[in-house]
Amino acid sequence: MFDISNDATFRQALLKLAPVDARIVGAKFVESVVPLADDQRLRRIVDVASSSEATEEELEVSRKLAKSIMVDTYTRCGADGDWNEQAGYFVARAAAACLAPLEKGKPGGPAWQAAMSSRMARTSAAINAEDGAESESGKQYHILSDYLETRERETS
Amino acid sequence: MSKPTLERGINALKEQIDAPIASFFSSCVHCGMCADACLFHTETGDPRYVPIHKLEPMRRLWEQEYTLVGRLKKVVGLSKKITAEELEEWQELVYNSCSLCGRCSMVCPVGNDIVYMIRKMREGMSAAGYAPEGLIGASTRAVEIGSPMGVTIKAVEAQVKHAEKELGFEIPMDAEGAEYLVLMSSMEIMNYPEYLQAVAKIMRQAGKSWTISSEAFEATNAGIQIGASDIARVLVQRIVDAAEKLRVKTVISPECGHAYTAIRWEGANLVGRPFNFKVQHILEVLDELREQGLLKTEGSEDSRMTFHDPCQLVRRGGVVEQPRNLLKMVASDFVEMTDHGIMNWCCGAGGGVSANEDAHELKLKAFNRKKKQLDELEVDALVTACANCRIALEEGLEENEMDIPVLGLTEMLAEHIVIEQSGKEE
Repeated sequence: MFDISNDATFRQALLKLAPVDARIVGAKFVESVVPLADDQRLRRIVDVASSSEATEEELEVSRKLAKSIMVDTYTRCGADGDWNEQAGYFVARAAAACLAPLEKGKPGGPAWQAAMSSRMARTSAAINAEDGAESESGKQYHILSDYLETRERETS
Repeated sequence: MSKPTLERGINALKEQIDAPIASFFSSCVHCGMCADACLFHTETGDPRYVPIHKLEPMRRLWEQEYTLVGRLKKVVGLSKKITAEELEEWQELVYNSCSLCGRCSMVCPVGNDIVYMIRKMREGMSAAGYAPEGLIGASTRAVEIGSPMGVTIKAVEAQVKHAEKELGFEIPMDAEGAEYLVLMSSMEIMNYPEYLQAVAKIMRQAGKSWTISSEAFEATNAGIQIGASDIARVLVQRIVDAAEKLRVKTVISPECGHAYTAIRWEGANLVGRPFNFKVQHILEVLDELREQGLLKTEGSEDSRMTFHDPCQLVRRGGVVEQPRNLLKMVASDFVEMTDHGIMNWCCGAGGGVSANEDAHELKLKAFNRKKKQLDELEVDALVTACANCRIALEEGLEENEMDIPVLGLTEMLAEHIVIEQSGKEE
């Protein structure tokens, strides 16, 4: 049983993951928030990112597409913002993050960046909703614990 | 905004011709040096984008109304009248093809402040009804809602709550007597909410008291961009009222270029009295904390990085060394672009260009200058300190299929802040 109950242990555990595992875990974080985005292509990107059998070419095409959706969906300076659309932007950002090569990635690594953007997607979607945001971080701790346990069972 | 008419246009422009404008026009030697300083001109080769040409209707008006030769020419019918079609055409030149970056003012051999002139022309054009829809909408929302992007206090509170959850400590809201009042841009609230977390983390480690105001969280000033001093004044006054109510010592302008110009360099003149608080850009504050030994970082980024200087910071505010001092703390392989610092090239999206959909294609062409600068360096990451530059850079890089992540400097520093040595609680 992996005890991940705060961001410090969460981030440490993510940093220890092999690049393929980091990508797959990151994709699982995105999968949790992908219904918040209108762009159906993001679902396909998540499928590719979460597959251990995805080829380098498929991953590269998906990463470029996620980045392109991200750049298309940000709220530009001075535009009338829509928080539901903004949730879609963060989902695209999370998808692009989990597919980013390590050396090109932002601090914390791809899975951490995907986790952070996924949480922002959840917060954005909750701004216009009457009910508060679900705890995405708690969900992410479970996703990672489950993944690590499965990996451990497979290797033992 | 009511329908533009020629009479309104001419009267509005005439009202903007003050002593500096008259002296700038009369001292222009037509050398063309401003042409090579403007990325809209250098990257398109279109002579209409020569900075001084963008002021042509105003120049003719000045000549016809306020010079002896011009008046005589007008009397004998030798002067070319300004038409409504021309004003419509010049709307594009004044708003779409100028980011108010100020590079032209830097190179003018007779010292003409061409940006000042463009801004005066925008004042006249907007008063006459010749302003882009995007900027009109942003200005209206800024006045009515408190944010050009329609960000409400409810949304800010949600982002604050999100940040508190991530950080595990409280973010002070409306805390009277705090040392710093932290302003944000709507771009940060919407696109880069991690900025707020970064500031909170750094302030906590430095042991500084700070607050956000529920009455004035927005730093940007759409009035400056569209050229409407009355709107700019209302927006600055909102911040002044909040700062005075909370009795803060310093107001911190966020990672936004024109917001800094608006509140730091023009704010007091707009409201017509000196501030009883200091205004600093976040990078100035962070560098002061560094000097005082209050900014402790660990580790550094090994990837090859460069810094894009936001125009308003370097050219308007002289904030050149501060980002470099900060970068030295966390970037082990930092390289400079050619023409960095006060002569850096704009991202192409400042001065309201990014809020103006009509300017989109031109903005991407202008980005070619930044592309050339980056191609020379072959960097792994690009750092900047303006949310608008950041988005424009990401967009330009994507358009040119350049795979370079763009990072905010405050966030990058916060990533390296030593948590164990965190300072006093707020």
